[in-house]
Amino acid sequence: MVSAQEMETGFEGATDDEIVLGMSAAFSGPSRGLGSELYRGAMAYFNHVNDNGGVAGRKITLKLYDDGYQPDPCVRNTMKLMLEDNVFLLFGYVGTPTVTRVLPLLKKFQDEQVYLFFPFTGAQPQREPPYGDFAFNLRASYRQETAGLVNNFLAAGKRRIGVFYQADAYGRSGWAGVRAALDRHGERLAGEATYRRGSRFTGSMREQVEILKSNSPDAVICIGSYAACAAFARDAVDRDLRVPIANLSFVGSENMLQLLSDLGEDVETYSRYLVNSQVVPSYEDTSIPAVREYRELMERYDPAVPEELVQESYSPFPQSFVSLEGFLDAKLMTEILRRLGGSPDRDGLEEAVFSVDNYDLGIGERVSFGPDRRQGLQTVYYTVVQEGRFVTLEDWQGWLS
Amino acid sequence: MKIQKLFQRTRFGIFLLFGVIVLCTSALCIYTVDTQLTAEYETNSQNIAKSIADSSVDILLNRNLATLQSMIDQFVEIQGIRYIYITSENGEYLAHTFVPGIPEEILASDHASTEPVERSIPGLGDFLEVGSPILAGVAGTVHVGMDQDEVALKIQRAIGQQVILICIFLVVGVLASIWLVNLAAKPLAELLAYAVNIADDKEPETTADDLLGRDDEVGDLARLFRHISGKAPDSGASGASPENVR
Repeated sequence: MVSAQEMETGFEGATDDEIVLGMSAAFSGPSRGLGSELYRGAMAYFNHVNDNGGVAGRKITLKLYDDGYQPDPCVRNTMKLMLEDNVFLLFGYVGTPTVTRVLPLLKKFQDEQVYLFFPFTGAQPQREPPYGDFAFNLRASYRQETAGLVNNFLAAGKRRIGVFYQADAYGRSGWAGVRAALDRHGERLAGEATYRRGSRFTGSMREQVEILKSNSPDAVICIGSYAACAAFARDAVDRDLRVPIANLSFVGSENMLQLLSDLGEDVETYSRYLVNSQVVPSYEDTSIPAVREYRELMERYDPAVPEELVQESYSPFPQSFVSLEGFLDAKLMTEILRRLGGSPDRDGLEEAVFSVDNYDLGIGERVSFGPDRRQGLQTVYYTVVQEGRFVTLEDWQGWLS
Repeated sequence: MKIQKLFQRTRFGIFLLFGVIVLCTSALCIYTVDTQLTAEYETNSQNIAKSIADSSVDILLNRNLATLQSMIDQFVEIQGIRYIYITSENGEYLAHTFVPGIPEEILASDHASTEPVERSIPGLGDFLEVGSPILAGVAGTVHVGMDQDEVALKIQRAIGQQVILICIFLVVGVLASIWLVNLAAKPLAELLAYAVNIADDKEPETTADDLLGRDDEVGDLARLFRHISGKAPDSGASGASPENVR
């Protein structure tokens, strides 16, 4: 409960010793790798900050809840975080179907000024009216990712593009991005197939493969989670649909590749057609200062998901695109909290964010925010599998030939 | 001695009457429940379609299809609603809930139609589909598919519960009637036995006093029989004279 003093001073979620951020993410279920990796990356940086005195003497702590990548638990968790735990802000939510349900809640309690920072989704609802004012995004959008994929495919002569997508808001967001990008080139979707959220790698995607195969696509863009997309890639190869299969950043590339590797057969067979878009640079590229810092802190802290949230076994990756994104989220979050000064107050949060202008996060691209700019980064990277790991794709024509 | 023949028709009549009542009530109940629930489900579907259509306008105009999908995903959790899809004015499928793909039957249908239509989709089942135009149809159409099998099952359950209740009333009513008839038949059987004893010139049984002491028609008849047979009782308490017979 909020004390009378806290109510008067507006110090919700922040005491003399700590600033509490609330996070609801998938720590269980077939997408648990996403929440776990995002958390690990963020905590690697927050631990580093806390070990060095915190922000104005306050340690940054995360209050965690598991939503299993399901909207209703996510809404309940958010209510708890806002009304019972009284967190300072919401941070690092995972997924479009979850976040799109939470946004109306933020609008309902807009007087409390609880903002959602850096959700792990590139969907449009938290980037546009009527909910855009309640969230701040760091990553590029699905629109940018899908447009990049479509543009590169079309430039390489792959004009018949099919879509395999999750039957929910996330899938629809990506589907709409692909459709809009094709529309700009006067093209239409060659075909589409859907799957239910929560599908596991052990499930069959043969029906979906057959539907798309019947439309003779030159390439397929997948908008899904790693378990379902890995199952689709497996069944596509098995059913002889051997065309480039693109995945968005949300897929969790390492988790996807791990599942395909676990098949026990030549991973090259199933991964040679994969091209995954990313919203952070490759964690293999140690020429990037933030990547060096990320690798060092991940190795030093190797954060683990709290045991009370672990329902199913999960083996984390030493580095991953998702944990690197979590790391960058935490780095920018810390900078914003620093800009709040010695008396952190929600009233000053938006102003602190808008003061981030041309900020060097250490990845080359500089970050700026403003009233009409609520997304920090714009760059989309592309990766393919070589020797069992994702590497940056520089030459689309060469890869597709 | 039992009075079987006298009440056989009465019992049969009671059975017949209750049977007809039960049949008529059940038939009326089935018709009413079936009609009302079907209409209610259809109305609900139409209301849902209209509700989505009304709230879709801004979302569609803002091209926010993720929010639109999120909205129909919530509606499809309502019992009886099996699928929802939204088409643009050009017939493009902007959002839907089908997995693994949009069925051929839907793709081949008139995307702008809002008339209720019954569909049978292989692998999915039988549906009643209703539609509602978005912005008078210029922005598209919302279609809601109601699972007829699921609705039929719910209606059957509701009817079954009503019919079971009526049958329970039937059994209780019949048993109560038989008990009442038997209650009425018992003194008549005793009276008959009494009359037979008198006719055979035998000594009355111990129950004769009970019969003669009754103040109803059975008692009157017993006393009349006694009087006719000339075996008036010693005690006049029972009033065995003809003038005491009502």
